Amino acid sequence: MPSSQTPSIAGLALDPTSVRSEIADAEILRIAPGDLRAKLEALRAEGFSMLLDIGGVDYLGREPRFDVVYHLLALPAKVASLAEVGTPRRIRLLVGVPESAPSLPSIQDMWPSANWAEREIFDLFGLTFEGHPQLTRIQMPHDWEGHPLRKDYPLRGPAREATPRPAFALKSNVPAGAPPSGKTAAALQKQIARARGQAPAPDGGADS
Amino acid sequence: MSTNPGVIGGHAAPMLDVVEVKGNTMTLSMGPQHPSTHGVLQVVVEVSGEVVEKAEMEIGYLHTGIEKSAENLFWTQAGTVVERMDYLSPLGNAMCYVLAVEQLLGVSDRIPERAQAIRVMLCELTRVASHCVWLGTGGIDLGAISTFFYTFDLREDILDLIELSGGARMHPNYLRIGGLNGDIPDGFLGKLDGLIEKYPKRMHELRALLQNNPILRDRMIDVGIVSPEDAIAWGLTGPALRASGIAYDVRKAFPYSGYEKYEFDVPVREDGDAYARFLVRLEEMDEAMRIVRQVRAHLDTPGPIMIDDPKIAQPAKETIALSMEALIHHFKIVSESFRVPPGDVYQAIESPRGELGYYVVSNGNNRPYRVRTRPPSLYNLQTLKLLAPGNLIADLVVMIGSLDPVFGEVDR
Repeated sequence: MPSSQTPSIAGLALDPTSVRSEIADAEILRIAPGDLRAKLEALRAEGFSMLLDIGGVDYLGREPRFDVVYHLLALPAKVASLAEVGTPRRIRLLVGVPESAPSLPSIQDMWPSANWAEREIFDLFGLTFEGHPQLTRIQMPHDWEGHPLRKDYPLRGPAREATPRPAFALKSNVPAGAPPSGKTAAALQKQIARARGQAPAPDGGADS
Repeated sequence: MSTNPGVIGGHAAPMLDVVEVKGNTMTLSMGPQHPSTHGVLQVVVEVSGEVVEKAEMEIGYLHTGIEKSAENLFWTQAGTVVERMDYLSPLGNAMCYVLAVEQLLGVSDRIPERAQAIRVMLCELTRVASHCVWLGTGGIDLGAISTFFYTFDLREDILDLIELSGGARMHPNYLRIGGLNGDIPDGFLGKLDGLIEKYPKRMHELRALLQNNPILRDRMIDVGIVSPEDAIAWGLTGPALRASGIAYDVRKAFPYSGYEKYEFDVPVREDGDAYARFLVRLEEMDEAMRIVRQVRAHLDTPGPIMIDDPKIAQPAKETIALSMEALIHHFKIVSESFRVPPGDVYQAIESPRGELGYYVVSNGNNRPYRVRTRPPSLYNLQTLKLLAPGNLIADLVVMIGSLDPVFGEVDR
């Protein structure tokens, strides 16, 4: 269920990167997932020594749905003065990842800095990186369900509680039916049972 | 002891709470609530005696979904949440965000000079304040408790100035898209002059206390050495990169907000150890004050502090009662913000911790489509995996301190 707070994208740019105005912030390349490693190897040989960041964007409704963005910087990998560093070149690679095959090759063997960045994209977008040695959640709790930075993930978390929001909440910016807290109904029941000094009810007793 | 880790604490990653003994090695959990981890960082270390064999970090304890929140706010509102990422340098985050949005709007060259100068001044003051926290808490890590009081006294003066300018000590939301929220008030420049006068004396005392202190030197020299090659491969930026000999400073390489107009040096050391990072930051504080002094010289002449564009700048309060257009613009900006042309932009600034980058995407709506932050702390902290093995567990504390992570930014 898309969040009612997520702005509607009807009539808006589905692929903002294709209609951007001239901004001289970096060179931009769009490549296919299959070419990623070869292209990065080539760029590294060309002098793009630092992987600054990997970020994800979810363009819900576009095909391919996700963009993974690699930011590279051409710094000398040795002791270098201000003049030697100069104005290093920046490049960013945009890699479209379809929802049907949400996977990219890992590059953490090429740049160790990619390790946490890839884990974060796995955690928050649900894209996997083949060859990553420890692809586990990094920001969210390990038992979390869903990938919060996806556009169809509601802002306040999935509506999992039995208690809907009261009607007056409609006037606020909180969608009706959203859970009042991040707790699931089962967790709330357990908490209530604990407070009363009872043994927690077995699973399934929380849905009433 | 560790046969059934699943029941301990009911924790998401219960293995990490367990102290495991295996042959000669022991697995210890340091943090997440530990005074020397500078926030909520958990380091799971395998030690053999006192020597660290492996350090695994668990982050995310402070994850607050700021990037998600920003997507659901107006362009004008998102500035308030991004400021809360790096809470020791809130104005740096605000600066980077507004610069990125101004680039998307195509108004970067129309920001009044006075606004740019005040932005630079506040960012440099924030840098000093941020380094004060690093120096104070870093001193405590090493048992030098008195430094904390000296540095926090200095920081308090800077926070007073930030409060004067924006109304809040920590997250003033003073930098706005298009300029500033109001000019600096009467009395600000007097206080600033007082700080400029006080700073050299205070810094002299701090240096006398610390710089040649034999205990401190013993603890920091040759600890946590990062070679330039490793620094590049691990994405190290900021003072930590410059302590490894690479003079990359975003303010010099990609000047923004008028940094090219000011004279300042970029301190560089080649040793790459904790002591080099310590010295680089100390010298950076002096350079930051040098920039502040240069900006101060221009602040006596008044001038506009907001872009002359009624679609972006909120009209002044006085005009709302007199002009129908001003009233309408005010209503529109407050109730639905403005629309930003579609596109994506990467904007970087030199935050106290390194290259802070914002990758901002607009799809033409009145809310950002995506605000991705490149947090320097995240990448700097990750280097600990490289540094820790083979060192004493006591040195781990020095290394964390010398990388200066801020967990609001690591976890976002």
